[in-house]
Amino acid sequence: MRHSIKFLLGDEPRELSSFDPTMTVLDYLRIEERRTGTKEGCAEGDCGACTIVVGSLEGEKIRYQAVNSCLQFLPTLDGRQLISVEDLPDSSGALHPVQTAMIRENASQCGFCTPGFVMSLFALYREGAAAGDPPELETINDVLAGNLCRCTGYGPIIEAARSMHQPAAGPDHFEQNSAATVAALRAIQDSQTIHLTGPDGRQSFAPTTTDALAEILAEHPGATLVAGATDVGLWVTKAQRRLDPVIFLDRLGEMKQVNETATTIEIGAAVTYTDVERMMADHYPDFGEIIRRLGSPPVRNVGTIGGNIANGSPIGDSMPPLIAAGATLVLRRGGERRQLPLEDFFIDYNKQDLKSGEFVETITLPKPAPGSRLFCYKISKRFDQDISAILGAFNLTIRDGKVASVRIAYGGMAATPRRASGAEAALQGKAWTRKTVDRAVVALASDFRPLDDLRASAAYRMQVAGNLLVKAYLEAQGAGVETRIIPYREAAHA
Amino acid sequence: MKFGIGQAVPRLEDNRFLTGGGRYTDDLTFEGEAWGYVVRSPFAHAEIRTLDVAAAKAAPGVLDVLTAEDLKHLGPMPCEAMVPGRDGKPPAAPPRPVLAAGRARYMGEPLAFIVAESYEAALDAADLVEMDLDTLPAVTDTEGALEAAAPELWPEAPGNLSLDWEIGDAKATEAAFAKAAHRVKLRLENNRVVANSMETRAAIATYDEAAGFTLYAGTQGVWGVRGALAKAIFDIPSDRLRVVTPDVGGGFGMKGFVYPEYALVMEAAKRLGRPVRWTADRSESFTSDTQGRDIVSQVELALDEDHKITGYRVESVANFGAYLSQFGPYIPTLAASMVIGGVYDIPAVYVHVRSVITNTPPIDAYRGAGRPEAAHMIECILDQAARQLGLSPIDLRRKNFIRQDQMPFTTALGAQFDSGDFEAVMERAMENADWEGFAARRAASEAAGRLRGIGMGYYIESTIGAPTEEVRLEITAQGRARFYVGTQSQGQGHLTTFAQILAERLGIEPQAVDLIEGDTQEKDGGGGTSGSRTLQMIGNAALAVCDGLIGQGRDLAARLWEVSAGDVSFDDGLFRVASRNLTMGMIELAARLGELPGGGDEALESVATYEKSGATFPNGCHIAEVEVDRETGAVRLEAYTVVDDFGTVINPMIVEGQVHGGVVQGVGQALIERCVFDADDGSLLTGSFMDYGIPRADDIPAFSFELKSTPCTTNPLGMKGCGEAGTVGALPSLANALNDALSSAGLGNVQMPATPERVWTILRAG
Repeated sequence: MRHSIKFLLGDEPRELSSFDPTMTVLDYLRIEERRTGTKEGCAEGDCGACTIVVGSLEGEKIRYQAVNSCLQFLPTLDGRQLISVEDLPDSSGALHPVQTAMIRENASQCGFCTPGFVMSLFALYREGAAAGDPPELETINDVLAGNLCRCTGYGPIIEAARSMHQPAAGPDHFEQNSAATVAALRAIQDSQTIHLTGPDGRQSFAPTTTDALAEILAEHPGATLVAGATDVGLWVTKAQRRLDPVIFLDRLGEMKQVNETATTIEIGAAVTYTDVERMMADHYPDFGEIIRRLGSPPVRNVGTIGGNIANGSPIGDSMPPLIAAGATLVLRRGGERRQLPLEDFFIDYNKQDLKSGEFVETITLPKPAPGSRLFCYKISKRFDQDISAILGAFNLTIRDGKVASVRIAYGGMAATPRRASGAEAALQGKAWTRKTVDRAVVALASDFRPLDDLRASAAYRMQVAGNLLVKAYLEAQGAGVETRIIPYREAAHA
Repeated sequence: MKFGIGQAVPRLEDNRFLTGGGRYTDDLTFEGEAWGYVVRSPFAHAEIRTLDVAAAKAAPGVLDVLTAEDLKHLGPMPCEAMVPGRDGKPPAAPPRPVLAAGRARYMGEPLAFIVAESYEAALDAADLVEMDLDTLPAVTDTEGALEAAAPELWPEAPGNLSLDWEIGDAKATEAAFAKAAHRVKLRLENNRVVANSMETRAAIATYDEAAGFTLYAGTQGVWGVRGALAKAIFDIPSDRLRVVTPDVGGGFGMKGFVYPEYALVMEAAKRLGRPVRWTADRSESFTSDTQGRDIVSQVELALDEDHKITGYRVESVANFGAYLSQFGPYIPTLAASMVIGGVYDIPAVYVHVRSVITNTPPIDAYRGAGRPEAAHMIECILDQAARQLGLSPIDLRRKNFIRQDQMPFTTALGAQFDSGDFEAVMERAMENADWEGFAARRAASEAAGRLRGIGMGYYIESTIGAPTEEVRLEITAQGRARFYVGTQSQGQGHLTTFAQILAERLGIEPQAVDLIEGDTQEKDGGGGTSGSRTLQMIGNAALAVCDGLIGQGRDLAARLWEVSAGDVSFDDGLFRVASRNLTMGMIELAARLGELPGGGDEALESVATYEKSGATFPNGCHIAEVEVDRETGAVRLEAYTVVDDFGTVINPMIVEGQVHGGVVQGVGQALIERCVFDADDGSLLTGSFMDYGIPRADDIPAFSFELKSTPCTTNPLGMKGCGEAGTVGALPSLANALNDALSSAGLGNVQMPATPERVWTILRAG
């Protein structure tokens, strides 16, 4: 048991032991460290003014990822390197190539959103540093999907991103110091559970094994599990909830594993979206595209599939594809484990089949069966970084002109993500024709009674749910029909 | 000269901004500070029956809670633009208290102010405020406010009409329409938008018995805000209030005004004897910042047989919001009417504006302030005329342009255009946009099942704001050029641009310039930054102050060198005595003043005032090209071309940045930005970045930008201004491109914002 957290702030080691366990990294930087370069623009992960970069040890390398500091709790920094805009110039004060490019292209006006853009581009710079090639426009747009600027109109920022690797400035100081940083990070890794008590007595835990997690949870069955905090963060910053105790899952190496067999994919509950995006796109291209549109890179870098599931949101984007693909969950309490189909986990709005002291350990989904295809469609007001009004997933195997197997799941159509059993029955074993599909669309009316809310009306949802099924049918007919506003992005998955 | 006028010098500000060195209001901290939280009305219109703050006051960590009861000694929030109506009377301006008393009149109106040891404590205490609010019928819709069935919000404004205003010759215009060979009519909605600067508003106040108040806030000019607070609200001598503005994270007009929260932190600081701070969260910004536009117009054009425009008539309803903001009434009336007829020679013009009170946040200036509205009207009706009469919109413009040989030209409403070559600018823009190649591009889009439209917006704007500006420049012995101005950068790169002028005139390094702005203690006054006025005012004042300094320097150099002043010249950045081969720079001179024989307190310091002789008229041609998906109604901006006439330009890189950002704000308004109020209860439904559309990186194509300037003849530097131009030109070019795309399929016009749902509805209706 360790009663402090250790991390690097830039190159400086920090060890903290008494602090509010749900203090955000943004407040820590601005209030405790008086590093005010990182800004608050919305405090809900929409604007990116608070973007920082977190460096994590991966083997001999450091992986740099952009994160919204307004949604990130301080204990998640343990064992990592926190980099804010103040750290980018080297020790002589010389600017980082990203900063130089921003100045050259006139990419800053009022300067308020600027540090956030700098950090998003810095993460991209580090990822592409070895290649030295200018990033593709689509990659830049993806990387900047979570950063808003009201002054520049973006053009100059995009130009800065394109030109930040040129002229070749040699390795930046992060590259030059990487051996020392790796050593410093290695020195603060351990496998002890972290147990912190805040000034007001609230507690937090960060175990490193599922066994330890099971034990802590057995002792504190009312604890809030945090696996990314892209939603839980808002409970604290917007809803002012004082969570006690909190258990952080980000140090659980076991729950961050993805294991593939010949026929299955097993995903630990603490695996981030970023870490499954590529793999998922290889197996289920549409699901990969859904993940690419889920939040922004800073959100996907911390948001987890397990968190998305356990949270039970009716509009969580990964559930319909997972249900349609046939995913099952392993739930664990103490030493006991049980398995159930994902769709059975969701009982009602905000109510999951999760017993006191139980947690989601892994998610398993089959690899696509030969001849099957998973179609996924997300409908939201804007393309990127938006909450779905409705999301439909259709897993179809057509054999000899007949529907050999079908699983359909929707989000946003009910209080939980749910299968469309009536529509499935109308398709199963039938001839794969428009007539059959139309009958299935009619059957949807018996599957769902959607609600009116601010994202869409019930009538709209019903209509779109049917249209998405028709769209899957049309796309299954092969090329020649343009059905997507923005064509499937190979680049995002390459 | 490397750093002189006309050079694309990288910004001197940027090193600071790029490394996290920007210091905005919320970045400041003060010893012993307390945190404020504003309790706001959750309803658009409600009777306040009970507002009991006793429990909140008793909550842990709470220091004070203010309600309207505590502020009886304060005056109401002032409106300083009481534009008289047709009857010669000022607009009906119901008093706007700092905290609502008796009735809440828009969602987000401040009701109480909680001050606590921490933000969390203040926020927790807010839950303990006992509110009994009786909701009343609300009206938010602009035209709807004038309907007989609308609830009447103030007895002082019968029928919710605050101001009934007109300008122009109604009779002559009527006659032009009576005689016209062609009449064209169009209804245009200019949608309500939220400025959404990335930095939310923030304010911190301190109070000291001896010195009085100090207010730190992100303003667009400290003196205007001080004046309103000291005079109208607190009734104190202005030297009892110091206003300081550090870095400002975007303003766009919205930060130019006095706000209730400024008075609240001041009053609380005085009561507690401690610094009190407040920073808006994003949701507060959506309801408590002034909003922009919100004007619905019927515009009509009269043309003769030869398609010469003979008359132009505008009938508008403008939304003031729940109260008249500091400059609210000026925007839809005088600000818009200066350029109402655009760049066309129109003999008869009449404008009638009715401004209404509603249950919405107050409206005030937003980038362009009246002029985007005017450009939207004239340019859209022109294209409508072309479509209706089967003419080329280009030919119609050519025929009606005010020609260069007509300059200076006085418009029907009395604006004096000094310069401009509109036809040449248009030709250049068409060339850059490959206007001729559009037909082929449209054919390609249509082959792919999409509509394509091209639209031109030839805008002209009149720069506005206070007509005089004084600057002071001193060269210190340490070699710094301290330049004191009364304007306020909110991201426009003022330091760089001013430094370029000073560097060129004085032969100093631009890095030697310190810009002193945003502090009422440093200077006696200033007009702030708004209305694209800053560089025009400061640039010309800088010329004069440099001349003054050079004259002074010659005298001082002569004394040092013991020659007569007449022998000292100043050229190429150096004082010289040619006959004796003596030279000395400005900085060196300042450092050597101590050597003056018999010298004492000589300083190299000069003050100059520039008074403008009239408005300047930036103008230019924007061309937008859009593609519309016939199946989904999705609109994609494919290309955007700008050719601008800004007169003399100091830093073309900064100017291009202003235009680019301004255009994108216009693109946002034209395509996705919109305030939606609940039709029943008047609450704002688009109150977060989740629900309010802001353009993102992938919404914007690369732009083509070029300057083709004719120097302004009414100021020494020849400059016209550029801060708002992008937004002014963007609205009509986007609107015209959209309508062009739709009309190519025989469909009618779309109002802004052209959301996919709106476009799809038109496509479906056929």
